Amino acid sequence: MESTLGQYLPVFALLVLAALFASLSFGASRLLAPRRPNDKKLAPYECGIIPAKDTPERFPVRFFLIAMIFIVFDIEIIFFYPYAIIHRGLGMFGLIALLIFTAAVFESFVYLVSNGALDWGPIKKARLLSPAVSAERTTTSTVRKVGLEGRYVPPTSPMPDAPEEAA
Amino acid sequence: MVEIIVFAVCAAIVLVGAVGVIAARNPVHSALFLIQTLFGMAVLFISLEAHFLAAVQVVVYAGAIVILFLFVIMLLGVDQAEDLNIEPIVGQRFIAFIVGAATFVLMVATLAGSSDAITGQRQATGPLGDELTDNNNVRELAEALFTDYVFAFEATAILLTIAVVGAVVLAKRTSGEMLPVPQNTLEIREADYQARVDARAAELEANAAAAAEAGEDGSAEASSAAASDDDTADDEMADAEGGDA
Amino acid sequence: MAGLTNTLAGLDPLFLNGVTLEVLIIVLVKVVISFGVLLVSVMLMVWFERKLVSDMQNRIGPNRAGPWGILQTLADGIKLFFKEDLQPDSSDPFVFKLAPYLSLIPAFLTFAIIPIGGNFSDPSDPSKTGIITLPDWLGGESTYLQLADPPVGVLLFLAMSSIAVYGVMLAGWASGSKYPLLGSVRASAQMVSYEAALGLSLATIFLQSRSLSTHDIVADQAGAGWLGIIPHWNVIVTGFVPFVVFLIAATAELNRPPFDLVEAEQELVGGFHTEYSSIRFAMFFLAEFMNTVTLSAIMVTLFFGGPAGPILWDGVAWLWPILWFLLKLFVFLFTFVWFRATLPRFRYDQLMDLGWKVLIPISLGWFLFLAGRNVVDDRWPNTNGSLFSVEVLILLGITIAILTVGALLLYSAIRNAAEKRELEEVTF
Repeated sequence: MESTLGQYLPVFALLVLAALFASLSFGASRLLAPRRPNDKKLAPYECGIIPAKDTPERFPVRFFLIAMIFIVFDIEIIFFYPYAIIHRGLGMFGLIALLIFTAAVFESFVYLVSNGALDWGPIKKARLLSPAVSAERTTTSTVRKVGLEGRYVPPTSPMPDAPEEAA
Repeated sequence: MVEIIVFAVCAAIVLVGAVGVIAARNPVHSALFLIQTLFGMAVLFISLEAHFLAAVQVVVYAGAIVILFLFVIMLLGVDQAEDLNIEPIVGQRFIAFIVGAATFVLMVATLAGSSDAITGQRQATGPLGDELTDNNNVRELAEALFTDYVFAFEATAILLTIAVVGAVVLAKRTSGEMLPVPQNTLEIREADYQARVDARAAELEANAAAAAEAGEDGSAEASSAAASDDDTADDEMADAEGGDA
Repeated sequence: MAGLTNTLAGLDPLFLNGVTLEVLIIVLVKVVISFGVLLVSVMLMVWFERKLVSDMQNRIGPNRAGPWGILQTLADGIKLFFKEDLQPDSSDPFVFKLAPYLSLIPAFLTFAIIPIGGNFSDPSDPSKTGIITLPDWLGGESTYLQLADPPVGVLLFLAMSSIAVYGVMLAGWASGSKYPLLGSVRASAQMVSYEAALGLSLATIFLQSRSLSTHDIVADQAGAGWLGIIPHWNVIVTGFVPFVVFLIAATAELNRPPFDLVEAEQELVGGFHTEYSSIRFAMFFLAEFMNTVTLSAIMVTLFFGGPAGPILWDGVAWLWPILWFLLKLFVFLFTFVWFRATLPRFRYDQLMDLGWKVLIPISLGWFLFLAGRNVVDDRWPNTNGSLFSVEVLILLGITIAILTVGALLLYSAIRNAAEKRELEEVTF
């Protein structure tokens, strides 16, 4: 059996070419571009203000759980591929084996979902409105609609030009 | 010939990566070296005609597991260079050394015990299929996996489930209550915070003094007030970042 | 094995007789051509996107450099060479320089597995399975019109998209700055989430073609399907659902609108590459658009028969498949731009919900459904002429029951999580 390493030769050649392209571009930029760094340019970008606090060091643990469940799914998917390739040869036996496997993986997924590990939104609090906010203040009572309806027109002043009169 | 060159280059990549993982001071650099090692391993698998395994090596190990490592490193704030002089668990280094040495001896013994010391011929059981019809052994691998080794395959699923449950249990904070922070930690934090505020105020005062020498006066009060405001806002923001999203 | 034995080679015939100097030259020519095609396609894609979006927004768009502004990207690229390259003093110097490579190189490599031409019209005729034979005065070698057909096939694409996550993640981390870090953490979680959906919908393709090689996948889709006119493309054969999942997941994987939270300008300035300037920024930009082109090409290959299409005139028979491929590619590129011009950006929780609670369960269920259908079809072939035999109906019932149980479980889990959340019982 001859080696199949040759099949990867073009991939390797493209890798070398891409790496060369990137490094040559960086080299060219180094030659062509000006270099006038100063403190302000080298400070982390903060939309112009002087950075007042350090970069955050801790993130929600949910990201970690995402990576965790991703490993599980990645492994499952990796098992799916060989199965997909020979599933017709394996027949019922293979299908049931796969179903058991999937059930176990799905179970862990459901456990994660049920614990809220994949919920990201702001927590909707089931609380009553505080009495300081009047119940009468609704969108219809506080927001004025665009147009003439509902607008206060002093009785003495002439009505603004109505569309039909203007014509 | 080509195989030998590929092997030599990959072996070098793998070894450099492996040494880098333990030698790098910054944990993120360690993770990068780990990726290098895994990548070298993938190419070695390819040169051994284990194409599917090579892909798995990159997709699962480099693509998922090291991502998890990096998340842990980056998200839990341990991405700073570590002080190697502190030993977090007493006796850890000594035990690690013993275990490492034992593993090494075991590896050497395994290699030396095989009939061909270089390739470990006796351990290899030959190709999975009778003949590799289309130079692609995914089929043979799949057949072995879903017939002879189907029990191991199912056991994997259970392992994965346990891993997920473990992760949730570790990460969960039940009934919205924070675990009590040890008093000691709080004091250290308080002291650290106070020290930072003082340092900043002193710095600003020094600046203001310098400015006053240049003829400008009266700005010292204002700027030191702004400084302490800044620092409180700073801490509030850090809290918010930890809690939401 | 019961399944049809794979008569296709599955490997590029170019290398079957070892690597000689002649082969090496052909490889180099192919590599250089692919490289050039990729760069030019990116240049055109950037221009096309800007032009099309401006058309959709009643603007003129780039119109200065070259006819219709077609050279605008080139001009921008040249300009970036002359821009100062800054590196924040809080950055990690080595990783900061490494990250653009990790973004760019996977973008290039994915293109290697895409068949861009070759006559696939008749699977039974060996000369019509995508092999191109050079004329004798050029050496007479046979090869595929694709850069490489490694045995791992599509897994190379998956591996490269896993590596590309590092480019984004490390770029943000190495910048030592707030917005890039937030952007990269978001981006990597997003890419990882949608990679799972991507991989699952890919599995249905393998169910159909029983090979990992892109060449085999294209060859498997050759020929006419039902009624003789509807093509035997995977998009139809696998029942649309995997394609839709793949398209959505691909858009998210590319960090393109409506999933471009990575660079949500209002919140994160420029996302993970905020601190990158000059040519280093250009590399990220290049990689982003190159990925758009490549992923469109992957979709054409996997779901739309690759370069398959009628050969209308025998005079330049080799050109037609390439033209068909480019046409299909163009449709997808247009779609991506169309998405961008039409759809507003998702919120992060919506994005995660869509990925985990909709796309992954759907593609998982669909995979099991298709696998079950194939197995049942093999076991009880429909010979008696009726539409459904009793066995098939029973097994169909079992399949539906299993899927329904799964769906109900997931639904109750989601409800449970929502309730707990309202009562503030659990916080991660």
